[in-house]
Formats: sequence, structure tokens, C-alpha cells
Amino acid sequence: MPFTKDENQWRRLVEECFRREAGSDVPIPDTAQNLIETGALDSMAWVSFLRALESTSGLSELGALLTERTPTLESIYLALQEARAESPSVPEASDKTRTAKGSMVVLTSSCAVVGSRQIPSEEIDRVFGMPSGKLRLRAGIESLAYAAEGENELTLAARAAQQALRAAACGPQALDWIIATSETHRGYPSLAAQLHSQLLARENCSALDVGGACLGLLNALAVAQGLIASGQARAILVITSDVHSRAFQPGRVPGEFGGLFGDGASAFLLRARNGSTPQRAYALGEFFFGCAGQYAGAIRVADAPDGRLDVHFDGEALSRAAITRLEKVIRDVELRSGFGRSSAQGLATHQPNPRLVSLLAKQLALAPDKFPGVAQAFGNLGSSTCGVALDTILQSARHVRSGEPGPIFLASLGPGLLFGGGWLASL
Amino acid sequence: MTKLLITEITRMGPAFCVIGLQREKDKIRSVRPVSSTANSWLHFPYYRGDVLQCDLAPFSGAKPHIEDRVSTRGFQKESTVPEAELVSFLRKAEFADSLQELFGCALNENKSGSGLFAEPPAAKRSVCGTVTQNLRLELCANELRATLALSSGEVLRDLPVVDRDWRDFIEAALAIRRGANRLARLERFLNSQFHYKVLSCPYHFIRLGLTRPYHDLCWLMLDTLIPLPKNDWLEEF
Repeated sequence: MPFTKDENQWRRLVEECFRREAGSDVPIPDTAQNLIETGALDSMAWVSFLRALESTSGLSELGALLTERTPTLESIYLALQEARAESPSVPEASDKTRTAKGSMVVLTSSCAVVGSRQIPSEEIDRVFGMPSGKLRLRAGIESLAYAAEGENELTLAARAAQQALRAAACGPQALDWIIATSETHRGYPSLAAQLHSQLLARENCSALDVGGACLGLLNALAVAQGLIASGQARAILVITSDVHSRAFQPGRVPGEFGGLFGDGASAFLLRARNGSTPQRAYALGEFFFGCAGQYAGAIRVADAPDGRLDVHFDGEALSRAAITRLEKVIRDVELRSGFGRSSAQGLATHQPNPRLVSLLAKQLALAPDKFPGVAQAFGNLGSSTCGVALDTILQSARHVRSGEPGPIFLASLGPGLLFGGGWLASL
Repeated sequence: MTKLLITEITRMGPAFCVIGLQREKDKIRSVRPVSSTANSWLHFPYYRGDVLQCDLAPFSGAKPHIEDRVSTRGFQKESTVPEAELVSFLRKAEFADSLQELFGCALNENKSGSGLFAEPPAAKRSVCGTVTQNLRLELCANELRATLALSSGEVLRDLPVVDRDWRDFIEAALAIRRGANRLARLERFLNSQFHYKVLSCPYHFIRLGLTRPYHDLCWLMLDTLIPLPKNDWLEEF
């Protein structure tokens, strides 16, 4: 079958997914070969292959379109053509690598802050009644950033926001939306509303809080991207802020859980792309999300009647889930974006703890320094982990002297198990 | 002589795998009769709920298929129990309502695509009953797959449905003699009446199983979905 340029891109996607399932050394079958009858894939692997293809192509009806058809690569290419004809919003495969570059939405500045008290992890071991060295040895956490007296979600967020605005020489009156996310802020007015007042934004600048816990930053970026792309906004400030040290205190939660978390915030200014977009801005690529409900039982936090927090935390299951899912998301980012992970400037991912980050780097055959050491120095910062990591990579990219910095991969998780990924590409 | 209440008849390629319940003192447990030469039966003319007399000999089946027994002579049907009563026995056998408890081991996600698997040495058994909060069947490229939510809130996706009766029902629904738009009509049924018929059944029940080790992994599958499909449902869509 002759392939056009775009079809070649789809073919690359199909072949990548096939190799994932059948093995990297298995030759790609002839397009007319019945994959099941000839034993190239069994029925489990056939469905698994299609699911991977649905996930990476964004064409969620692919499996349904192939019912009553022969399981061949040719059938898949035909179904892909039909699905694209029915969903013109799905970009051509070859557009994927260009999506970020041609994006209408750019990230022009960022800032991250952490709680001003830097506490060695051994001190946290002691406070939670755990053996000294447990957090360092078991989780790889060297120190934690805790909010000082007078610091809270609002003050940390406001500091990050003001610095991000200043870095872009953007006044708060230019903002159309403030989108905030926090897994610890529970009061009213909401964090976004309080920030609106604190920053003195225009009255007709909207304020919105989004959830997702550790996935919150990606949720917020996706919402902001949609608002700008639809023409409803031109400048949006996305902010994360989490102060775990007050919520997860000794006596309320076990140390093996509460001891992992620190406090921090991050802020990102997103703008519609125009002629005055600064050179060192990053364009937002696609974001994709999902929920892997088989891990729903691994972590649950709820209010108990006695004022304590009822924490169910299956560390082993959660670790396994985190590694598997993050790896899967990063592979999907690669396939969707067309960028190889090794070309990435860095990966801003969720960091449940530093040990898992090392393991993830190993699984992906990446140098550990592609992942900023956020959890190692500050602890798991919730929605701000990804934010602080992203800001760290963005700051380091400013010092890249020759050529343009590589893309930045984003991947995160939240209880549920929510997952999401995306990427940024330098302009 | 052993009395076996047949609970599972599953399709494994061209053959059938059979599981039944055996009473042992005050316990009820699952056993899987296998022939001395194969793990499955090419011909099995019985139904779920049939009580069969048979002779079963111990068999050192590889973990996690600890339920395997060698059938040393043919089956003889003694009686039949109704579906609701069958479920009452299934509830007394292996039962779990969370992912971790199903097979007494961690279930892992397939990194390359869909499906869940257990590592054979870790799994304590190869079959377990559960109740689902919600259930969806769908056809994915001719393969019948189930997605279900356990009572724990955990969701299992893309389980291959190997239940003989449900597979037969789907094939019958797609038979050419049923006329035009068969697939669309079946999909409408699966997205509407199916849900009501199964979940409103007061004794709805599911049995999940693990495949034999394949490339050193045992994959999770949906062995049995009760209520079993009724032929007259085909007239409704």
C-alpha cells in the first residue's frame, strides 16, 4: 500500500504500538496479514495493541470501528482514515510535532517558591516517632521545606505569582483568568479568589480553582490552554500551592505518609501567541488525561469523625502504580509529540518520593538529572511538585547556549488513579 | 465419587475449561476437572448449575492453578440447581471484594497496552467470585471485553470475557440471519438493556479467573457473569 506523508506518520504510530506489544525485535507484518490467525498477536495482545493505539492517537473509537473486520494492519489504517474523517478535530499525525510550535498558547514566565523552613528529614523522623534515617534511607528524602509561621497557601502562591508576573513584565491588570490548584487549601473564599484580591487583578478577571491533587498543575494548564485557544482569554496565570505540613501533622496521619510531604508553590504565565512573544518562551503541546481505576484503593484520604484524617495508604501498590503509569504516560508523550525522551531538556513529573524517581529514570533509561530533585530537597509538594520541577527546568533552559533547548515532558498522577501528560516545546 | 456443581464453562480457543464447586466437610471450594492429557475439554455437553458425578484425583497443578484435579472417568449428570441457588453456593466459595484479595497477590497493569496480570508464584488461586457495582461489556475489534467496578471502588478494564454462554449470545446476536445493522443493534443492547438486566438481577455475580501462565504471566479474565443470557433477549434488539 503506498503511503502519503501523513499516512507515514500514522504508520509510524501503528508500528510503534505494535512493537510495544509484540516486542521490539519482531518484524512488522505485511499489511494484509491476519495478525491473530498467523499468531503475530493473540487476542489479548490484539486488544492491548489497539488500546495503546487509541491512547496514543486520541481516537478512542478505533476498537469499535474494527469489529467485524479482519485483524490486519490494513484494517487499522482504513479505520484510522474513517475515524479522522469523522473527527476532523483530531490532528494529522504529522501535525503532532508541529502542534507545540504552531500552538496559540505560550508559557512566557514562571516562578517557584518553597516553605522557608528547610528541615533535615531526620528531624521529621523524630517528630513522627519513626526511627532516625527512615525517610532518607527508605524514601531518599534528605530534607523537607516547611512553611514558616505566617506562610500559608495564599502567601506562597502570591509570592510565586508576583515574581512570575514581574519576570514577564506583565501587570495583574493584563490577566483574564487566575487558575489555582491546591490539594491542601480547604477554606473559602477559594484560593483563586483570594489570589485575585491579593494580586489586585481586574474585577472582570475570572478566578477558578481546579482539583486533581498532584495532577492539579496539568489540569490547570489544560484548562488555561483551552480558554486561550478558544479566544476567551489572552493572559492567564496558573498557580499551584500546597502546605502539607499543617494538614499532615503527627497524630493526624502516620509518619510513613505525612513525613513525605513538604510545602511549596509555583506560578506560570500563559499568553496567546502574538508578534511580541519573547524568544525564550515555550509553546504548549497537547495534554491528555485519564483515570486508572484499578488503583483507586491505593490511596484514600478522608475526614474522620474525631478530627483526624482517615488515611489509607498502600505504599507498595501505589509505588508500583506510580512507576507503571508514569512510564506509560511518558511513552505516550513520546508517541503523541514525536519527540524522543532522550531529547527532552527535562521531565517535570510527579515525584512521590526520590527513590521512585530514580527507579522511573532507570526504567526509562534516562539520566537521573533529567528529573529535578524536588522531592529529595523539599519533599513531595503535591500539585506543586510538578510546578517546582517545571520551573527548575525552565530556568535551566535559559542557560542553554547553543541551539534551542529540548522539549519539556510533563507527566503526573493524582489519587483515583488520575493520570495526565503533555509537553512544552521551545520557540 | 465426587459431586461437582458446575459453575464455569469458559471458552479457551476451540476447547472449554470447566470449573465446579465441591463440598468438603463444611467448606465449599472450586475445583477444575482436567483430563489426564489436557487442561481443557473439546466437548462438554453440560450447563452451569448441573450437578455431575465424577471421579477426581489430586493433581499437582502448577501455581496458581491449585484447583486442578484429574478426572479419571466420564461425567454423569445427577440434577440441576437454579441460577439463584448456584450463586448462593458461589458466595460460600472463594470470594473477595477488592483487587488485592481476589487472588491473594498484587495484580499488575500491562505496560504496553491493556489488561491486568498476576505473577504465577505470587497468586494463591486462579479463580475468585466477586460482586460488581457496575459493569460494561463491549466489542473491541471482534473481541468481547468487560469493564467492571468492584465494591472497593477499584475498576478492572478490558477483561476478556471467556464465559461460554455470553460469548455464544454475542455470536448469535451477530449472526447474519439477524439482518441489517446487527452490530449497531448489539451495541445499543449492551449500552442499555444489558446493564439493566444484569445489575437489576438480585443475585448478579461474577467469577474472575487467571489464565494459565503465558510468557510467565497469568492474565485476568471474566470467567462467569450471572445472570447468564437468555435466548429471548435476542428478540428485544
